[in-house]
Amino acid sequence: MISLPEPKAETLAKRDAIIAGLRRILPDSGVIADAARLKPYEMDGLTAYRRPPLAVALPETTEQLAAILRFLHQEDVRVIPRGAGTSLSGGALPLADGVVIGMMRMNRILEINYDDRFAVVQAGVTNLGITAAMQADGFFYAPDPSSQLACMIGGNVAMNSGGAHCLKYGVTANNLLGLKIVTMEGDILDIGGAHLDAAGYDWLGLLTGSEGQLAMVSEVTVRILRAAEGQRAMLAAFRSNEIAGACVDRIIGSGIIPVALEFMDRPAIHACEDFAHAGYPLDAEALLIIEVEGSVAEQDDLLGRIRAICDDFDPISCRVSQTAEESAAIWKGRKGAFGAVGRISPDYLCMDGTIPTGQLPLVLRRIGEMSEQYRLKVANIFHAGDGNLHPLIMFDANDPDSFHRAEAFGADILRLCVEVGGCLTGEHGVGVEKRDLMHHQFTATELDQQRAIKTAFDPGWLLNPAKVFPLVAA
Amino acid sequence: MAAAVADARAARRPLLVQGFGSKSAMLRPVQADATLSTRNLTGVTLYSPRELVIAARAGTPLDEIEALLHQNGQQLTSEPPDLSALLGSAGGQSWGGIVAANLSGPRRVAWGATRDHVIGIRAINGRGEVIRAGGRVLKNVTGLDLCKLIAGSHGTLGIMTDITMKILPAPAATGALILRGLDAVHGVAALSAGLGSPFGVSGAAFLPAWAADGIPGLGSQTVTVLRIEEFPASVAYRLEQLAGTLARFGKSEILDERTAKRVWTAIRDVTPIRPGAGEAVWHLSTRPSRGPTLLALIEAAGARGFMDWGGGRIWAAGPATPALHDAITHAVWDLGGTFTLMRAPDSLRASVPVVPQEAPPLAGLTRRIKAAMDPDGIFNPGRIYAGL
Amino acid sequence: MQTHFSAEQLRDSDTAASNTVLRTCVHCGFCTATCPTFVLLGDELDSPRGRIYLIKEMLESGKPATEPVVRHVDRCLSCLSCMTTCPSGVNYMHLVDHARRYIEETYTRPWPERMLRGVLARVLPNPRLFRLALRAAALARPAAGLIPTGTVTGKRMQAMLSLAPTALPSDSPAQRPQVHQAQGVKRGRVALLTGCAQKVLAPRINDATIRLLTRLGIEVVIPPEVGCCGALTHHMGQHDPAMAAARAAIAGWTREIDGAGLDAIIINTSGCGTTVKDYGFMFRDAPEAAQAARVSGLAADISEYLVRIDYQPQRGAPGLTVAYHAACSLQHGQKVTGAPKALLKTAGFTVVEPRDPHLCCGSAGTYNILQPEIAGQLRSRKLANLQERRPDVIAAGNIGCITQLSGSDLPVMHTVELLDWMAGGPQPSGLAAGGS
Repeated sequence: MISLPEPKAETLAKRDAIIAGLRRILPDSGVIADAARLKPYEMDGLTAYRRPPLAVALPETTEQLAAILRFLHQEDVRVIPRGAGTSLSGGALPLADGVVIGMMRMNRILEINYDDRFAVVQAGVTNLGITAAMQADGFFYAPDPSSQLACMIGGNVAMNSGGAHCLKYGVTANNLLGLKIVTMEGDILDIGGAHLDAAGYDWLGLLTGSEGQLAMVSEVTVRILRAAEGQRAMLAAFRSNEIAGACVDRIIGSGIIPVALEFMDRPAIHACEDFAHAGYPLDAEALLIIEVEGSVAEQDDLLGRIRAICDDFDPISCRVSQTAEESAAIWKGRKGAFGAVGRISPDYLCMDGTIPTGQLPLVLRRIGEMSEQYRLKVANIFHAGDGNLHPLIMFDANDPDSFHRAEAFGADILRLCVEVGGCLTGEHGVGVEKRDLMHHQFTATELDQQRAIKTAFDPGWLLNPAKVFPLVAA
Repeated sequence: MAAAVADARAARRPLLVQGFGSKSAMLRPVQADATLSTRNLTGVTLYSPRELVIAARAGTPLDEIEALLHQNGQQLTSEPPDLSALLGSAGGQSWGGIVAANLSGPRRVAWGATRDHVIGIRAINGRGEVIRAGGRVLKNVTGLDLCKLIAGSHGTLGIMTDITMKILPAPAATGALILRGLDAVHGVAALSAGLGSPFGVSGAAFLPAWAADGIPGLGSQTVTVLRIEEFPASVAYRLEQLAGTLARFGKSEILDERTAKRVWTAIRDVTPIRPGAGEAVWHLSTRPSRGPTLLALIEAAGARGFMDWGGGRIWAAGPATPALHDAITHAVWDLGGTFTLMRAPDSLRASVPVVPQEAPPLAGLTRRIKAAMDPDGIFNPGRIYAGL
Repeated sequence: MQTHFSAEQLRDSDTAASNTVLRTCVHCGFCTATCPTFVLLGDELDSPRGRIYLIKEMLESGKPATEPVVRHVDRCLSCLSCMTTCPSGVNYMHLVDHARRYIEETYTRPWPERMLRGVLARVLPNPRLFRLALRAAALARPAAGLIPTGTVTGKRMQAMLSLAPTALPSDSPAQRPQVHQAQGVKRGRVALLTGCAQKVLAPRINDATIRLLTRLGIEVVIPPEVGCCGALTHHMGQHDPAMAAARAAIAGWTREIDGAGLDAIIINTSGCGTTVKDYGFMFRDAPEAAQAARVSGLAADISEYLVRIDYQPQRGAPGLTVAYHAACSLQHGQKVTGAPKALLKTAGFTVVEPRDPHLCCGSAGTYNILQPEIAGQLRSRKLANLQERRPDVIAAGNIGCITQLSGSDLPVMHTVELLDWMAGGPQPSGLAAGGS
C-alpha cells in the first residue's frame, strides 16, 4: 500500500479563501468545490488509489492557467495537473490539500501547417483528435497510446507516451517541436518552436516525461507526418508464449522493422475478441499483430518475408487483413484491450515494465509462475518489438486480500524487469504506483540528482506532489 | 574520472571537458585550468544487434563503432556528421562527442536527432558522483530524462562516460532524385512536397549553384535533392513515384547509387562550405518554408549557405565579423528559429552570444539547472553562455 | 471498479443490476472522448465516467438525490455513444435509467420544472393532447419574443415553441388500428408501432412504412392496445407511467403473436426501438417477463427488417445525394449502423456521412426542451457537419432527430420515405429530383 503525505493543516484552514481566489480567476463553472462533485475527480485510470482534492479548476486559456498557478504559488498550495484522467500509474491522483487543474477545456487545435509539417494544439486536445483533424489530408500524429481516443496531448507530454507504432515512429519526445509551459510561479515560457533542435539545454527533452513535476503544459507543437501509401496487419497465432517471443526476436533480427509488432496471450485474445469481433484466433496461446506499410507491392513483399519467418515457428494460423475495416477491427481490439479485460475481471492492475527483447521468453515464463504463486490471473498484452510489457493482473477490489496480492505480484514483475536489464516503466510513467520501487532502478545519489532538477523548477515542491520520487529522501 | 572531478571541485578548479577535442571550435572558448578528456575510456561494452542496442564508453572512436555496426548491417540512425573539414579538426571524433554536441545528419528530418536515439548514459556530475540515466531498453520513462538533458549540453552539466543508443538496420539501398536549376523558393517547395509525400523521404536538401559545383557529379546549377533509403525494389518504385509527385517543379533525374551516396555524405559533412581563413561558420534552424527567406537575408548580409532538412537547416559561412554575426542572428530572431556559432576566431566567439539568449525566466532556469548538476561551475565554464 | 453496497441494498433488483454494471467499469475513460456533453463542457462530471461515479455514490449512500448529481445526470442525453465506445461492455443505459428513476423518486425539483416535466410526460405520449398543444403553440408563436429568456424556464418555453411546427399535418387514417393486407403474394406479417408524437408530427412516416411493407408483400397490423411504448416517460425516470404504457403494448403484441403470429414488430422511431428491445430487462422481475422478452426479441427497426426481406427499388437512380444522419438510438442504442446506409445505396442514392457521426444532434427525446442550450449547440454542430458534405437531403431514422434538424435549407426526412419513393411510392414533398 502506497502512503500519501498528510494534508497541510494551514492549507485546509484557508480552503474558502483558496476557492474564492480561484473564482476570481475563472467563471463559476470552472471551479468545483462541493464534496459531491469533487468525488469523481478523486482518481484517474488507476482506481486503487483515491483522494478527493480540495478543489478542481478548469482553465480555458493559458493566461487563466498562469493566473491560477501564480495564485496557488503565493498561497503555497499543491497542484495536481490533469488531462483526460486516463493515467494507469496514478499520475493525476489528487491530494486532500491539492487543487486539481483540469486541462479538458483547452481543447482547440490552433494551427495545422502541412508545408512545415507541424500542428499547434492546446494541451486538452485528445491524441486521436490531432490525427482526426488532418487525416483527410493524409497526415497524422505518430505516437498512438492505446488510450489515444481519450488521452490528451498534455498528458502524453507529461508521460512521454508511446504506443503500438513507436517501434518505427518513436515516442512522444521524438515527435515534439515546441511547448508552451507555465511554471509554478506563473511564468509562461515558450520552448522550441516550429523548427528542429533549439540550441541551449534540451528543455523539450527534459520536460517530456517529467510527469507534471517541473511545469504545466498549455500548448504543444507536434511534428506531423504524411501517412504511408497504405498499411496492412497480419495476425500470426502460435502454440505458446515462448514460441511467439522467439519469433519476435527473429523478425527484429532479420532487418525488417514492422511499424507495429504487438503480442497478446490467450486471456487477452479472448477478452479483446469479445469486444472488437476482429476475428482473433481463439485457439491460440499467443498472437502477434504485425503491421507493415507502403505500396501494396511493398506490403506484399514485407509480409511475405515475415510470413516465411513465422512459418519456421509452426504457427497455428497466419492471416493477413484484407480490408481497411478488418484492420480497423484488429486495432480496435488491441487498443481496447485494457478495458476489455473489464469483461473478465472487475479490476486490474496494468504493469508497464520494459525488458531487453531477448529476455522475453524467460520473463513470460516467470510471470506465469508468479500468477500461480499469487493465485491471480494475468493477461499479457505488450509491444513486443521494443520489449514493453503490459501484464494485466486481474483482481477484485471488493476483496482487499486479492488487491494486496495483486500489488505484490506487480512489484515482483517490475523488479524482475529491472533485474534482467530493463526498467520499471516504458510509457505509463512512475506516477504514484511505482514511486516506491524507484530505488530498485536508481541509487540514492541518482534520485537526489533528479530531485535537484525538480527543485530547480519547483523549489516549493508544489507540482504534482507524492509522485515519481519516494517520499523519504535519502 | 570521478575522483579527478572531485579533486577539481575541492580545488574550485574549472575543467575543460572534452573527447577528442574535434568540436572545440564550436561555441565559446573555455577558460579552464585543466583538461579532462574521455579519450582513454574506450570500448564497446554491449552490442545486441537483435535488440537494436549498442553501448560504448565515451572515448571510443566513432569510426570503430560505425564499422562494427556496418559489419552487422546496422547503422546509427541520426547519421552523425564528420565536421572535421568544416571545423578544421583532425583525428576523428568520439562516441561521447557526437552526443554531447547532439550533432545529426540529413536523416534527422525524418528519423530524429542523435539525442532521440540515446537510451542510456552514465555520467559524472559536478559533485564527482556517478549518475546513470535511462538504461539499455528501447522504451523507458522511469524518472526524469537526464539523458536528453545531458546530451547536447556540451559537457557543461556532466561528463558522459558511457552511452547506450538505439540503432536500426541499415537500408539495403540508397537512391536520390534531383531537380536542377530551381530557385531556393521553388526548391524548398519541392522538398516540402517530397517530405509531405507518402514515400518516406529520408533526406531533403537545396544546394545553390556554388555548393552543387563543389560536389563532383552535380554540375553547376542549383540542385534540389531528395533521398530514399529502402529495399532496392522500393527505392526504385518510390523514386519513380516521387518524380511524378514533383513533376510540376520540372523534370527530375535519378542519380546512380554511388553518386547518391557521395552527394549525401557531402551534405552530411557540410563539405561544400569550405570556410576560408578569417571566416566563421553558423548552423541555423528555422521552419522549412522560411529557409529561403533566411538564406536570402544572410546572403544579402554577405554570407553564403545551403539548406538541409527540407529547408529548415542552413549551414552558413562568411566573414567572421560582429556585423555579420549580428545580421544573421537578427534574421533568425525575426523569422523564428535558432542558431549556433560553429566556428569563429576566439575574439568573436568570446564577445557575442553563440546561441540565442533565453528569455529571463528561462535563463533563470538554465542557471538553476546548471547549479543542480554542477554546483561549483567547474565543467566547461562559459562554453554556451558567458558567465555560466 | 470497487463498490460499497450492503447486502441489504443488493437485495433490491435494480440496485443489484446497477452494482453489476458498476463492477464492469474499469474507469479507463475512453467514454469521455465520444460523449457530446464532455466534448462541449470539458468537465469530468459531464462525462459518462463522471456520471457513473456520481450515480455510484448516490446509490451507495441510499440518500435522496442531491442537486449537483441531478444537474449532471439531467445533462446526459442518453445517446449511449459511451456504450459503443466502452471496451468493457458497461451497460450505461441500465445504470442511467435506474438513476433517473431514483432521482424522480427521491428528489423534489423546483416547481416550474416539475410542472414542465409533468406536462411533457402527459402530453407527448398522448396524440390527442399533443395535437391540441401544438395548435396552441402555433397560436402562441407570435408571442414567443415576449417570453423572457433570462430564466431557464423561459429558455425552455422558447425551445418548445421553436420546435413546434408552423403547420400541423392532418391525421392519417392509415395509422389507426387495423390490418393492412399485403399486396400480391403474402411474404410475412408484422406489427407496426405507430407511436405517439411521430403520429402527430409526421404521419407521412407511418404512411410510407405501411405502403412500402404492403407493397413488398407484408401484412401490417396495428393492434388497438398499443399506443406509446413508454420510452418518453422512461427516459424522464417516470417508472410507473412508462411501465403501464409498455405493459399495454406487450399485451397487444402478445395477442397478435399468439393469434395470427408475427414475424417482427416493426419500429420506425429508433428512440422507441431501443426501449422496446429493452422490455425484456425492464420486465425481468414482472409476471410478463416471458412475453416481454419475446416482444424484445421480435422488435426490429424498419431498416433491419427491410434488409431481411431484401428490399429492391423499382425506379431508376434519382441522382440525389443523401446525408445519412445516424440517430443515436439506432447507432448506439440498437447498434444498427450498416442497414440504413446499405438500403439507401441499394435504392440508388449517393450516401454521405457527416464528420463525427457518433455525436448526438441534441434531440434526445425531451432533451431539446429541457436542456435547450446544449441541445442548440449540438444541433448547430451537427447541421454544419451535414452541410459540409453538400447533400440534397438529410435522412434519419428517428422523428426526434428529424424535428431537431429541420429548419435549415436542407429537407430532412425519414429513411423509409426515400426508400418507399424509390420502390414506387410518391415522391416526398420538399424534395427536388435530379438535384446535384
